Amino acid sequence: MTAAPLGPLLEVTNLKTWFPSARGEVKAVDGVSFSVAPGEVLGLVGESGSGKSITGFSIIGLIDEPGRIVEGSIRLEGRELIGLPSHELRAIRGKTISMVFQDPMMTLNPVLSIGTQIKLALEAHEKISAADARERAVKALAQVRIAEPEQKVDFFPHQFSGGMRQRVAIAIALLHRPKLIICDEPTTALDVSVQAEILAEMKELVAALGTALIWISHDLAVVSSLADRVAVMRHGHIVELGPAFGVLTKPQHEYTKALLDALPSRAKPGQLLLRGAGIADAAPPPRKSATADLPPLGSPYLVIDNAVKRFQKPMGFFKEIAIKSGIFRPLPVVQAVDGVSITLKRGEVLGLVGESGSGKSTLGRVAAGIAVPTSGSVRLNGKPVMSEGRGARKITTRIQTIFQDPFASLNGRMRIGDILAEGPLAHRLVTRAEAPDYVRQWLAAVGLDPTFANRFPHQFSGGQRQRIAIARALAMQPDVVVCDEPVASLDVSIQAQIINLLIRLRAELDLSLIFISHDLSIVRHLCDRVAIMYRGRIVEEGEAGTIYDNPQHDYTKRLLAAVPVLPQAAE
Amino acid sequence: MFDIAMRDTLLGRFLEEFFRNKTATIAAIVVLLIVLTALAAPLITPQDPYDLTSLVLRDARRAPGYVGIGGYTHWLGTDSQGRDLLSAIIYGLRISLQMGVIAGGIAFTIGAVIGCAAAYIGGRFESLVMRIVDLQLSFPAILLAFVIAALLGQGRYQLIMALIFAQYAYFARTAHGAASAERQKDYVEAALSIPLSPLRVVLKHILPNSLPPLIVVATVQVASAISLEATLSFLGVGLPPTEPSLGMLISNGFQYLLSGRYWISIYPGLALIIFIVSLNLVGDQVRDQLNPRLRR
Amino acid sequence: MFAFILQRLWQAVIVVFAMSVLVFCGVYAVGNPIDVLISPDATQDIRAAVIAQYGLDQPLWHQYFAFLGRLFHGDFGRSLVYNMPVSELILSRLPATLELTLIAVIFASLAGIPIGMYAGYRPHSLLSRAIMAISILGFSVPTFWFGLMLIMVFAVQFGITPAGGRGDTASLFGVEFSFLTADGWAHLILPALNLSLFKFSLMIRLARAGTRELMLSDTVKFARAAGLSEFTVLSRHVLRLISIPLVTVFGLELASTLAFAVVTETIFSWPGLGKLIIDSITSLDRPVMVAYLMLVAFLFIVINLVVDLTYALLDPRLRKGRA
Repeated sequence: MTAAPLGPLLEVTNLKTWFPSARGEVKAVDGVSFSVAPGEVLGLVGESGSGKSITGFSIIGLIDEPGRIVEGSIRLEGRELIGLPSHELRAIRGKTISMVFQDPMMTLNPVLSIGTQIKLALEAHEKISAADARERAVKALAQVRIAEPEQKVDFFPHQFSGGMRQRVAIAIALLHRPKLIICDEPTTALDVSVQAEILAEMKELVAALGTALIWISHDLAVVSSLADRVAVMRHGHIVELGPAFGVLTKPQHEYTKALLDALPSRAKPGQLLLRGAGIADAAPPPRKSATADLPPLGSPYLVIDNAVKRFQKPMGFFKEIAIKSGIFRPLPVVQAVDGVSITLKRGEVLGLVGESGSGKSTLGRVAAGIAVPTSGSVRLNGKPVMSEGRGARKITTRIQTIFQDPFASLNGRMRIGDILAEGPLAHRLVTRAEAPDYVRQWLAAVGLDPTFANRFPHQFSGGQRQRIAIARALAMQPDVVVCDEPVASLDVSIQAQIINLLIRLRAELDLSLIFISHDLSIVRHLCDRVAIMYRGRIVEEGEAGTIYDNPQHDYTKRLLAAVPVLPQAAE
Repeated sequence: MFDIAMRDTLLGRFLEEFFRNKTATIAAIVVLLIVLTALAAPLITPQDPYDLTSLVLRDARRAPGYVGIGGYTHWLGTDSQGRDLLSAIIYGLRISLQMGVIAGGIAFTIGAVIGCAAAYIGGRFESLVMRIVDLQLSFPAILLAFVIAALLGQGRYQLIMALIFAQYAYFARTAHGAASAERQKDYVEAALSIPLSPLRVVLKHILPNSLPPLIVVATVQVASAISLEATLSFLGVGLPPTEPSLGMLISNGFQYLLSGRYWISIYPGLALIIFIVSLNLVGDQVRDQLNPRLRR
Repeated sequence: MFAFILQRLWQAVIVVFAMSVLVFCGVYAVGNPIDVLISPDATQDIRAAVIAQYGLDQPLWHQYFAFLGRLFHGDFGRSLVYNMPVSELILSRLPATLELTLIAVIFASLAGIPIGMYAGYRPHSLLSRAIMAISILGFSVPTFWFGLMLIMVFAVQFGITPAGGRGDTASLFGVEFSFLTADGWAHLILPALNLSLFKFSLMIRLARAGTRELMLSDTVKFARAAGLSEFTVLSRHVLRLISIPLVTVFGLELASTLAFAVVTETIFSWPGLGKLIIDSITSLDRPVMVAYLMLVAFLFIVINLVVDLTYALLDPRLRKGRA
């Protein structure tokens, strides 16, 4: 480890933070050592469960019960923090070390105005009059580039967007000019474009104020755009620590290499990631549903024509009468999908890209026949996917869906075998006698042990659950699969395995995919064609290569520019 | 089809965690003992409190430990009619339990059906039904039960009706909340997108997953039905005097309280409280275990 | 905000209307009022006269509108037992019940919320366990039995308080209240304690549950990370956040306490509404029952309205969204 020229601001030595549990100690952080120089930015990278966040919380002394620091030392400018009485620790928190959290929707108190929350944070460390506090609050908001701070200071959190709230949180963290700020995934919950803005602002502020930063993230590209040095964590240990450029271009440790290999942005489009690791060998069971009427590959297959989807807040009985009788104004209507026409060709992978609120998920649900469009039509091979009239229901089994959160999409009270067999049995794709075998074949095809059929969902990890969800969709022998952010909640290495699985199964089964994602690099990797959504409309559509290399629409250009990129080693 | 024995089911894990809490385990054992005692009442009590011929007026209002005409010791004393208090309490628990379980069970069924139907059918039906339920919930159960019991008169069935009417709304509200929440979840969406028939989705997916909060409410509501029954009987609008429920026993002892014959009111009260406290302790633990917000 | 109030008032009107139908059907249509009004050995002529006088020969909906019309004029009829206008009777009893109820609920909240917050803040401490044990007990003990025990211990054994009655009262704005005299307090304390035990336990449980969940939340963590003292975190952040659900419960409980006053007033011979309704039910004094139920419904609506408005004051998210 290279000693910082001015002597370290923070020195963490052999830190161990453990959590006792029914099955023994969970060693969340198990012997971590690093230092941070004044003004330095250290990136702390790792997958979920690596202990990176717990390391951050250990430094600021906010470990949740029953966790505790069992060993090690944390020195701030030479002063030992472990074992400090709580009032002395409190005097350091917010003043010398402060912290920004992941989800800005959860960190600010929803019932206190921004000004009050800033005032409370000011009063924690100095005596200050109400007028001065307000003035300081206005300045603090201006510093993080919140327009019209004099008015905004009286706003409540719900009046701000996610990015603005995170700016407020950063403003609070900066109030007392701390020497160190710990940022725990502060941009993960935000859209790419907002993330890019906040990263740029953060970089500027830190440089101007000389504040040191510990930036905790799962995203290597984000860290690389900010950090001077990077520490890669796994299972509570730091496996590699060094200058950011070096670690990311010439990784020494196997794990760092694997992490980088798992990133689709570093592979050729369509290629298997991780050098093909995690690929199952078993072939899916043969298709039994009719295939005679399928059009040839490449011809138009799923046609969405001028689809509109509006949402209206559900009303109470009395309210409805009141509105109809003219006593109240009608409720505002949200136009989630605003007249979209798009065609999916057979055998193609269509990427649907957009930020939160763009309507991409709603469009996916309309395409999959889960949501009834307010107007417009969805036809598969010329036939409607939903029945007509009131109580419209999906009538085709040829479109299936894979959902984002594998922890929510499996019924926890059913065994895996029953989950997989339920649909095929209900639609007579298999007989009761064939079902167990059919299920086992599918489990093998998605790279799981066939004996898992007897287990319950809670016994599986997120990646395994997503494989089960994929098997459930494919066991219905569909031609089209709508994938709604299927890897967004997974760690990079698991994400790579699921991407590999999708690439392989798609080729074997001639599937057409609609792949909905906010992650531009994954879309680039998987998709033949891309549609960019913005405010309920498709603003640009075309071959993936064309759009990425030569975007036409302003929004597309901004979106692509906002994606953080990894440094590439000179070859 | 796939139900080959696997002990690590959700229920198995649930029980394992439950029995790790000592207080809750003891409470569960107490509830079980009381239930068994109440069921076996005719076999273990020295006296049948319904049998008026066995009552001797000379034995009335005797202190605990008194050896009566029948030749056995009245460990908890006797009441104003010469009933052995211990026997009366055990029979009283039996009645309380009957009332609580029957009323609770019927209210559970009615409430669950109404709540799930409202959540599933939606639209105007949902908003109208839930409005009525909410309106009823804003009126305290005791008041409703009291008025209904007063209108219908004394008697077992009247009381059960009153309890059901007072309690079904709690179940309906809970069932509606749980079913609407489940309906939003991805696994239901996944089942509908296969597509499976709505009836199947309700019965196999939504209903089983809505049960846990209903079970929590059920433990609390059985306890409160028992308490309600005792209160109504105490006020004189519950069971007729010929059925010695715990509330009736306490009520009968009220007038002797001031003259120092405390046992007639106290012991039935203690029995009632031990039972209700145990039920609530079990309910609390179940609730804590099912509350996702306290889990990390 | 105005539209919001208008909407609630509109709902209140519907609720009152629905209640009047229910009460009418419940009280007038169940059972035969003639049996109560007329002695069994009355002659046919007298029967017919009474039936005509009370309009009982009219169709049900006709009777209902007649009933509604009388309600509009504040005419609840005459009590069969006390032989005086029901409205007068009820107004004379109302202050006693309101006094008892308010004192009980205020005590339960003022004591219960801080105690519950402590138990949620330190969920594993010995004191918190003791608090929880007490609250479980308070939750489970039937109100009437607890009342008996209070009388037995404080009135019979120690003789420090009277066993019942209202004691001396003093006049405030022309209404008699017990809490203005020492003797009144002596009479008030046991019933108030009795009535508040359940609410007290409930407040403890709710405050504890809310605090416990919030202590794990990012909001509290972030406040701590900014260096706020634990006291500030609890008093400014946690209290403000749990106050929103607590206000709802406070309102609902105020209403249910009004109902539970029936039990307490019976035990402590407190001359309030609860005692009146018990007596009128046992003597089948229907006009009093109707008036009582309508009054309770009206009070509940007022309470709910106040709760909703307080809610909007406490939660800024509602202020903008609804107007």
